[in-house]
Parts: sequence; structure tokens; C-alpha cells
Amino acid sequence: MFLASTGFWIDQLVNGLTVGSMYALIALGYTMVYGVLKMINFAHGEVFMLGSYAGFGVLVALGGEEISGPMVAVAILLAMLAAALASSGASVVLERVAYRPLRNAPRLAPLISAIGASIFLQFLVLDVTSAKASFYPRLFPSGGLEFGEVRVTYLQLFLLLSSILMMLFLYTVVQRTAMGRAIRAVAENRTNAALMGVDVDRAIVTVFVLGAAMAGVAGVLWGLFFLQIRGSMGFLPGIKAFTAAVLGGIGSIPGAMVGGYFLGLTETIGREALSAIPGVDLPNEWRDVIAFSLLVLVLLFRPTGIFGELVGRRA
Amino acid sequence: MRELLGAVRARVPSRGQLTGPLLVGVFAAVPLIPFFTDSWLRVFFLVGLYVVLGLGLNIVVGFAGLLDLGYVAFFATGAYLLGILTSPQSPIDLHLGFWYVLPLALVLGALVGLLLGLPVLPLRGDYLAIVTLGFGEIIRILLVNMRDITNGSQGLAAIEKPPVPGWQEIDEPWQWYYFVLLLAVVVAFISARLRDARIGRAWEAIREDEDVAAAMGINTVKYKLLAFATGAAIGSVGGVLFASFIGFINPTSFTLQVSINVLAVVIIGGMGSTWGVVLGAFILIGVPELLQFRETADALERIGWLRGIVNAPFAAIDAVAPFDVWQVPEASEWGRLVADKRFILYGALLVAVMVLRPTGIFPSRRRKLEFEHPLPAETAEALAAGGGGGSS
Repeated sequence: MFLASTGFWIDQLVNGLTVGSMYALIALGYTMVYGVLKMINFAHGEVFMLGSYAGFGVLVALGGEEISGPMVAVAILLAMLAAALASSGASVVLERVAYRPLRNAPRLAPLISAIGASIFLQFLVLDVTSAKASFYPRLFPSGGLEFGEVRVTYLQLFLLLSSILMMLFLYTVVQRTAMGRAIRAVAENRTNAALMGVDVDRAIVTVFVLGAAMAGVAGVLWGLFFLQIRGSMGFLPGIKAFTAAVLGGIGSIPGAMVGGYFLGLTETIGREALSAIPGVDLPNEWRDVIAFSLLVLVLLFRPTGIFGELVGRRA
Repeated sequence: MRELLGAVRARVPSRGQLTGPLLVGVFAAVPLIPFFTDSWLRVFFLVGLYVVLGLGLNIVVGFAGLLDLGYVAFFATGAYLLGILTSPQSPIDLHLGFWYVLPLALVLGALVGLLLGLPVLPLRGDYLAIVTLGFGEIIRILLVNMRDITNGSQGLAAIEKPPVPGWQEIDEPWQWYYFVLLLAVVVAFISARLRDARIGRAWEAIREDEDVAAAMGINTVKYKLLAFATGAAIGSVGGVLFASFIGFINPTSFTLQVSINVLAVVIIGGMGSTWGVVLGAFILIGVPELLQFRETADALERIGWLRGIVNAPFAAIDAVAPFDVWQVPEASEWGRLVADKRFILYGALLVAVMVLRPTGIFPSRRRKLEFEHPLPAETAEALAAGGGGGSS
């Protein structure tokens, strides 16, 4: 069993990378907000969930399961756009209402405000949807590319490629544009950036918008991949994406990407590997336990993350 | 002579010192009033339980300034310890009585707190928040999956009620009410003493500024661990009480909602304040239960005419609109509707309290002073003149 098929393990590898790419997209929002505000945006998981619902709405409006042929590509693009817009909009409101007034408050205050916003959004959507799940239409043909024993479905391919494209886009914005420079300056030192003429408020709002757009697109990808979405769906991916951000060194953008893939791989392969031990059978939920244990271990032994980029102990 | 007078005056409690015992006396009289039926007393027990939990979390969040978002984990620890050791369905064949489990739960709760706090507490406070949030969810997964210990999702039934030697078991709602009242008073007393002791001052210093506290020679990790473990132990004892009162537990009783409830009680009531926690527990836990009472629905029915007025604009739009317009529900439904939507309300309240009134509705006196007068004017001036360099 343990060495039975290499194909099986490569399948798991692809699975892990697929899930990991979504974690990576969400993790970017955590890491960027942390970079500029030194605060965990607990509501980021809910921003992801809102994006998923916005994309769902667009897909249903365009015909749901009926969409076929080239319209599939258009529909998915529109869904992603709507998700990015909805998530960014929600994030801007959040920043304005719940975080900005507390920017200079004692450090507990914005954290509590963030968790309050997270609870508010989660239970609001649960209430509107009567706590029922919604189902994304199956839009992708079930086939895939075969590499010997290994098969990568079109859906997985699409997820991997689109997440990489999104990250490249973000990286370019942050590294190559004037706004990106402003963001990096604010992350470095807010006061000095302001003295150099950087519009700090605008830079911070941009960070929220960019992070939320990534999360919104991740929400659509999540729906396409797992099909089922619900109001509480943001909770666990939120915690895991944060774990990914910590793994890569919180505050670091490449770190969040690598952390996301690493976490996806570890939890998927970790569970299968543990289950391969005779007498052990771990249900799917154990992926959550593995991811969480990883978070605790990293905090214990290397709180600055794999890249060790920013301060872990105190900031 | 003056010394004598001073001594006498010291013996006479001031008005502030009397409020506590007086209010406890009022609470103790509640079951004697015939108006409060068993269902009321059950709600009051629940409020009392949340006062205990709130006071426990208050030590962590209010005193030491550590954000614990997974308090349910410790609550579950105590509840499951009692369940495993007294339920006939327990997969572990080991029977212990309620009164033995209670102190055990205290110790186990503190140990779980230490175990969880050790890797995280030396780090920034934010990490504690996310780790506890994660652990609050993981504990439920563990409870479901460790069937050989917890009996999985089937749960544990017939959990022991506390026997009173020479009398009977605590079973009636009024008996439970007095039990939880006693526990709440004990916990409130302990927490007040801790707050005013050296340890409480250390917590306060850490909460205000960890670096300064460390510079003053406070072992911050040790004191943070102590706060976390104390809160965990109290949560665990609360869990024992809950399991025994309900008699049946399964993993669905231990969700994120419990953590949210306790956090909301502490923060909306007023961080650091005992009476804030009591008021918070009554408003956030008691009122939603009371709103679901048959009597409440009947009472609301009597103001049914109000619905007509509130609904008038909606009805008017509905009359002309080609589609169905949302209508205000029947008055008798209002209570239940509010109760259903309480978590949305808690979330909004947490944000609102932080933004508008960070001391909570009923703040502790000291905390209020800190917020309103950060420093006496002359101290601030002296500091400014001294030019203590460097902003943070």
C-alpha cells in the first residue's frame, strides 16, 4: 500500500498544489495587510466567502449549468471580475468602518473589531441563505491531460494557471508601479512614508483592495473546485491561509505564495501518508488538524517563517 | 482619638463595598419569587454559567490583554472530563464521582491552557488570537474523531449530577441556580483579589505595554501563561457544570458560537469589570432566551397593532408593486427573530463597541480612567519637556 503506486502520490501532489494555490491567493491579503498595519484581518476569510457568493450569483444569472461552449470562459471571467469587485468593495467598507478609526488605538482594539466584523459577515450570510449550502454549476469538462499514470484535470490546470497569473499580476503591481512603491514605503515605516509625501490612507486602502481581489478570485476558484459554498466557508480557509502567511514569513508576498503551496501539499500528502500506515484511517477533516499543528510547530521553532523575512517576535 | 476614629471608619464598609453583597443578596432571593418559574430559573442558570465563563475569560482578555478566541476548548475540556468519567456510555471504564472530577477539571483545564499557551505566548498577541481560534475548531474535530475516548458524535448521556452528602442530587433548576450563583461569587471574589494583588498589577502592566513591563522586571511570559492557565481552569470548571446540568453532551455543543458568546459577554459588558460581565451575560445570553419564551410571544401579541404601523409603508408599496414586497413579520414572532439573529448583532456590537466606546458598556473604574485620562497633565508635560525621544 505504502509504495503501491507512484501515480497515486503524484495525484495527491497535484491535489495539494491545487488547494495550495487557493490558500496562497487568500494568504496574500493577510500578509499585505499585516505588512502595512501589523494586524490580522480576521474578516479576510469572510471577504473570500463574499467573493465566492458574488461569483456564484453571476454564474447563476448567466444560466448556471446551461452555460456551454466558449460562453464558459466568458462566464468564469465575469464571475471572477464580480467576485474581485464585491470582495474589494466589502474590504474597503471594512477598512473605513472597522479598522481606520482604530489605527492608533491599543493593539487589542483592532483585533476585536476585526473578529466582530468577521462574525457579523459570516452570520449575516448564514442568515440570508438560511444556513443552506449553494452549489456552483459544473462547468468544466471532466477530462484532463494524461501524463502516463498521472492525470491532471482541466479544472486543476485552470486553477493552477489562473492563481499563478493572479500572483504575477500582484507582484508586478507591488514591485513595478508607483502605488506599489508607496505601499512598500508604508509597510517599511508609516510615519516616514507620510513625511515623504506618500498618501498613507490611499496606500492602505489599495492594500485592502488588492488583497480582497485575490481572495475574491480564490472564492470563485474554490466554488468551481469544491462546488459547495456556504456562509461559514471562509472560516477554515481563512485560518489556513493565515498559517500559510506565517509559514512564508508574515509580511512577505513571495512568502505567502510559497507558504500557500507548502501548506496545501503538507496537509494533503500528510493525511494520505498517515493513513497509509496500517491500522490508521484518518478522515478528511484531519487535514485541518495537520495544518493547525504545522502552524503551532512553526510558531514554536521558527516564528519568522521559512523565509524569515519580517519580525516574528514583536513588531 | 483620631487614630481610633480612623480605625472605626475603616471597619465601616463604604457604599461601594456594600453594592456587591447587596446585589448578591438580591440574586439569592430570585428563586423565592413565585413569578420566576423553572424555565426562568434555567435561563438564569445559563446566565450564571456565562458569568463564570465571562469572569474566566475576563482574566485573559480584560486583565492581561490577551485575545483568546477559542475559549470553547477549555469549556469542552471540563465538560468531556466529567462526561468521560461519569457517563455509562463512556468508552473508558473508569468511574469517578462529580466532586472528584471538579478539582481534576480545574487542574486539567489549566494544563491544557499551559500546553496551548506555551508555544504562542512568548510571541506577539496576534498569534495567540489565531492559534486559539484554530484550536477552538480543532477541538471539535478531535471530539468527533477520537471515538475511543469521547464516543464520537453520538456523545455521552446520563452524566452525573452533583450529589449533596446527606441530602439529594442537585437536579431542580433552583438548586442549580444556587450552585452556579455560589460558583460565580467564588470566581468573582478570586478574580477581584487577583486583580488587586501583585499578579494583577503585572497583568495590567503587560496589557498596557509589554516592553515596558519587561523592562520593569516583570517576567512577561510567566505572567501571560498564568493568566491564560487561570482563565482556562475557570472555563473548564464551567464546562463541568454545563455537562452535569444538561446531562448529555456531544461535539455539536462545543462550536465557535460558545467562544463568540463568552467574548461578546466580556467585551460588550466591559473589559476588566465584574459587573460588566454580569450585565453582559444577562443581556447577551439571558435576553435572547427570554425572547423565545411563550410568554414573550403572548406579550408581544398585545402590541400587535404596532406591526400595522411599522408595516404600513411596506404594505403600501406591496399594493402597487408588481412583485411581492417583504412584510414585517407578526409581532409574536419578533422575539424569536431577534434571538435568531443575535450573532449578527454580536458581531456588529463588537465593532461598534471598539470604535465608539472601547471601555465597554459598563467599564471597570480603573480602565475608564486609563482611557479618559491617559496621563495627568503635569506628568505629560514633564515627559514632553524631557523630550524622551523616539516615537513608536
